[in-house]
Amino acid sequence: MRNSSWRGMLRSPLVVIVLVVLVWFVATFLVLPNATLLISTFFPDGRFSFRALEKLVSSERALNSLWHSFALAATLAVTVNVVGIFIVLVTDYFKIRGSRVLWLGYATTLIYGGIVLAAGYNFIYGKYGFITNAVRNVFPDIDPNWFSGYFAVVVVMTLATTTNHMLFLGSSLAKIDYQTIEAARNMGASTLTILWRIVLPALRPMIFAVTVLTFLTGLGALTAPLVLGGTDFQTIAPMILTFSKSSGSRDLAALLAIILGLATIVLLAMMNRVEKSGVYFSVAKVATPLQKQRIRNPLANVLVHVAAYVLFVIYALPVLLIVLFSFLESTAISTGTITWDAFTLANYATVFGTPAVLKPFVVSVVYSALASLIVVLGMLFVARVFQKHRNPVTSLLEYLLHIPWILPTILIALALVMTFDRPNPLIGGQVLTGTTMLLLVAYVIIKIPFTLRLLKAAFASVPESLEDAARILGAGPLFTLRTVLVPLVLPTAAAITALNFNSLLDDYDAAVFLYHPLYEPLGLAIRASTEGENNLDAMSITFVYTVLLMIIMGFTMWLVYGRGRASSTRRRTPRLGAGAAAAGAVTGSAAAAEVAPVRVPVPPA
Amino acid sequence: MNKRIRFTAIMATALLGTGALASCATADAGSGGDDAGGTLIVYTNSNGDGRGEWVTAQAKEAGIDIEIVGLGGADLANRIVAEKNNPVGDVVFGLNNMFFETLKEEDAVTAYEPAWAGEVDQESGDPEDGVFWPLVEQAIVTVYDTNTIPAADAPTEVADLWEDAAYDGRYEVNTALGQATPQLVLAGLLAPYLDDDGDLGVSDKGWEQVEEYFAHGSPAEEGTDLYARMTRGDVDFGVLPSSGITARDAEYGTKTGVISPADGVPYVTEQIAVIAGTPRETAAEEFIDWFGSAETQGAFAAEFASYPVNEKARAEALPEVVELIESLPKQDIDYSLTRENIGAWVEKTELEYLP
Repeated sequence: MRNSSWRGMLRSPLVVIVLVVLVWFVATFLVLPNATLLISTFFPDGRFSFRALEKLVSSERALNSLWHSFALAATLAVTVNVVGIFIVLVTDYFKIRGSRVLWLGYATTLIYGGIVLAAGYNFIYGKYGFITNAVRNVFPDIDPNWFSGYFAVVVVMTLATTTNHMLFLGSSLAKIDYQTIEAARNMGASTLTILWRIVLPALRPMIFAVTVLTFLTGLGALTAPLVLGGTDFQTIAPMILTFSKSSGSRDLAALLAIILGLATIVLLAMMNRVEKSGVYFSVAKVATPLQKQRIRNPLANVLVHVAAYVLFVIYALPVLLIVLFSFLESTAISTGTITWDAFTLANYATVFGTPAVLKPFVVSVVYSALASLIVVLGMLFVARVFQKHRNPVTSLLEYLLHIPWILPTILIALALVMTFDRPNPLIGGQVLTGTTMLLLVAYVIIKIPFTLRLLKAAFASVPESLEDAARILGAGPLFTLRTVLVPLVLPTAAAITALNFNSLLDDYDAAVFLYHPLYEPLGLAIRASTEGENNLDAMSITFVYTVLLMIIMGFTMWLVYGRGRASSTRRRTPRLGAGAAAAGAVTGSAAAAEVAPVRVPVPPA
Repeated sequence: MNKRIRFTAIMATALLGTGALASCATADAGSGGDDAGGTLIVYTNSNGDGRGEWVTAQAKEAGIDIEIVGLGGADLANRIVAEKNNPVGDVVFGLNNMFFETLKEEDAVTAYEPAWAGEVDQESGDPEDGVFWPLVEQAIVTVYDTNTIPAADAPTEVADLWEDAAYDGRYEVNTALGQATPQLVLAGLLAPYLDDDGDLGVSDKGWEQVEEYFAHGSPAEEGTDLYARMTRGDVDFGVLPSSGITARDAEYGTKTGVISPADGVPYVTEQIAVIAGTPRETAAEEFIDWFGSAETQGAFAAEFASYPVNEKARAEALPEVVELIESLPKQDIDYSLTRENIGAWVEKTELEYLP
C-alpha cells in the first residue's frame, strides 16, 4: 500500500531507523555546511544583499549564457530521448543484425567524457578535423567552421549523454511483460502501435527519470561549449566556475547555480506529479523473457539498419581516434600532420615513468568504490521509504537530498572544509578537515541525487502485489526488501553503482579542496601531469590517462554487464533477461500465492 | 553467486571498507593536528614539468622529507584559506604576490625571516612585514614567431594589436579569468588607467581598453596550446609567461619574438611562506632556508629555465633567460592595490566584456 499516514510510517522500526539516520545525515552534511556558506555569501553584513541579482540582470553576457544553457537543456531533453530510445530499441527490442556489436559501439560513452570526448569530436569534425579536411578537398567552398556553435554542441552532447538511456531504459525494457506484447500482436496490432501503446508507456517512469538527468546535464554543460561553442554559443557553467573560485564573486556563482538548480527542481516536481497520476508497473511476473521483434515492413527494416550502423560509426570513431592519438607525438596531434614517424610509445613511457604512478589509481579506485557502494546501499533504503510513504516530511527530505544538484561541487567542497575544521557535536566532536574521511563524505553527497532519482524510478515499476504477497506469507519488512524488492531493482542498482564509480574515478572539483596530502587521487595526478607552462605533451598525456581509465571503466562495466550478458546470450534471451528471469524465479512462489489475477499494464488512454 | 550471499558480501565489503578508511582517518588526523614530526606537507602550484619530483628528490638528499601537494594557483589559495582553522599544509611556495597578499590578509601565512633574506631584493616580496619571500621572477609577455612575422614588422606596443585593424582576430586572448596569467594581463591592461573616480578605481578609458582587447582577439581554445595555433596559422600573437618560451621553441621549431612595450611588461614574483598554525613550523623554516638558498635556487634555475630573485643564484641561470628578462622593463603595477580590486575587475570583465 502506498501510505500517506504518519502513524503507519512510524509503526515500522526499519522506517524509523532509516528516517533518523537520514535526518541526521541531511542536517549535518547537506544543510548545515551549505546554509552557513550561503548565509555568509548573501548576507555579508547581516543584511540581504541584492548585489548579485543586480549584477546579473545588468549583464547581457550572463543573461545570454544563461539563456544558452536553458536552450541547450531543453533541446537535449528532446534529442537525447529520441536518440537514446532509438539505440535502446535497436539493441534490445528489435531484431537487428549484429546488435551486440552495435551495443558495444553505443556503450563507448560509458567509458569516457568531458574534455576528451569534446576534443575527440573536434579532431574529426572541427576546423582542422580530418572529415572536414576530406570534404573540403572535394568541395572547397564549405565553411571549415561548420561544426561549431549550438548545432555542434547539441550533436556532441546528444551522443555523449545517451549513457543513462542505454543502462536504465535498457533494464526497464527487459522487464516488460512479454505476454502483453504477444497478446497485442495476436489482436493484430502493428509494430508501431505496440511500441507506442504498450512498450513506451511501460517505460515512462524511467523515461521521466532520465529526462531530468539529461536536462540537468544540459544546464551544467561545461566542456563541450568551451571546445565547440565558439563565441556564439557559450553557456553559464564556465562563468559559475570562475566566480565560485573568487571569494568576492561567490554570491554570483551561488545565485547562478541556484537558478539552474531551481529549474531542475521545478522539472522534477512536474515529473513527480505526472508519475504519481499514473499507475505504472511493468515487471513480468512470469518468466517469459522479452523476445526481439522483427520489423515487418522491409523498407522500414532497411532504414532502421542503416540508421543504426551510421550511429555506430559516429559513436565509435572518436574512441578509436583517442586510442590512436595516445600513441602519437603531441605536435602531430595539434598541428594535424600525422605520419608514420609520429607514432611513439613516449607518452606511455612518460606516464609510467612517473614515480608512484600506480598509487593515485589505487586511491581513486578505493574512494570511488566505497562511495558508490555506500550511496547505493543507503539510497536503496531511502528510495524505498520515500516511495512507500508520501507525506510532507518525506517530500521535504527528498528535496533536501537534491541540494548537491543545486550547488556547484566547488561550493559544496569549500563548505565542508570550513564547517568541519573544528570539533563538531553532530559528528561526535570529530574534526574532519585534513582527514581522509572528508573526501569520502563529499563523494557520497554529490552522488546522492542521481542515485536517488534512478532508484526511485526503479522502485516505482515494482508492483505492490509482490510485496503484499510476501507480507501475506509472513515475511518481515527487511526480509521483503532483501529477497523480493532488491533483486528486482538490482540491475538498476548495479548500473548506478558502476556509473557512480566511473564518474568519481577522475573527479577533480571535489578532490582539489578535500584530498589528504598523502593520498592523492587520480584527477589531481592527471591534472598535475598535464599542467605546467612547459608541458607541451599535455593533450597526449591526457589521452594516455583516458585510455587507462577506459580500461578500468570498461572492466567495471564488464563486471556489471558483461558476464550477465554472456550468460543470457547462451540462453538466447536479451540482456538482463537473466536478471529479470532470476527475479521471476525468486518471486515465483510469491506470484503463485498471489490472489489477484495477473494484471496487464494499462496504457493511459 | 546466490543473490543473498552477494548482497551480504557487498554490504560487508562496504562496512569493512568504511571502517578501514575511518581508522586510517583517525591515524592520519595527526598530520593536520599537533604532530610536530612526520613528513612536511608542501603546497605549491609550481609542481608541473617535473618540478615537484625534482624538489622532493633534492630535499630528500638535503635530509628533509616532503610531500608535494600541487594545485592550480586559485584553487591552492582557496584551499589554504578554507583550511586556515586547521591547516593541513606546512609551507606554500610558487604563488604570485597577489595570491600571497590574499593569504596574508586572511592570516593564513605567518612571518619568518629566512637565512637568505639578505640575498634577495625584499621589495619583490613583502617589504613591510616580511611574511612572504621572493623566489623566482617571470615576465608575462606577448610573443610571436619571427619565422612568420619578422621582428621589424611586429608592433612595438601591445595596444597596437587591438587598435590596428590589421591584427584583428590575429592575437589570442585567454578568457579563463580564474587563472593567474589572464588576471595579470588584465592588471597590466588597467594599471595605466587607475582613477579613483572611475568605476572600480579605473577610468572609462581603461575599461575601453579591456573591451577592445577582448573584442578584437581570438579566444583561446580549450586544450590547444598557443604555439600549436601559431604554427597552423590560426593566430600570430599570444600571451605567455617567459619561462615557457624555451621549451616551445624546441618543440615547435619556432623562433620566438617578444613585444617589448615602452612602459614595460607585467612581472610576477613567486613567493614562499610558512603556513600559519602548522605544528611543524621548525621543519617548515628549515625547508625555506634550504629551498631559497643560492645553491638550491641556482640548481633549480639551471634545470627549469627560471630567473631566480636570489642574486647569487642568478649566475647559474640560463644565459638566454637572463638576457630576455633583463631586456624587458618592468611595468609599474601596484600589486597591493591590484590584489584588493582584482576580484571585482575580473567579475566586471567576465560579465561585460568577454566575447
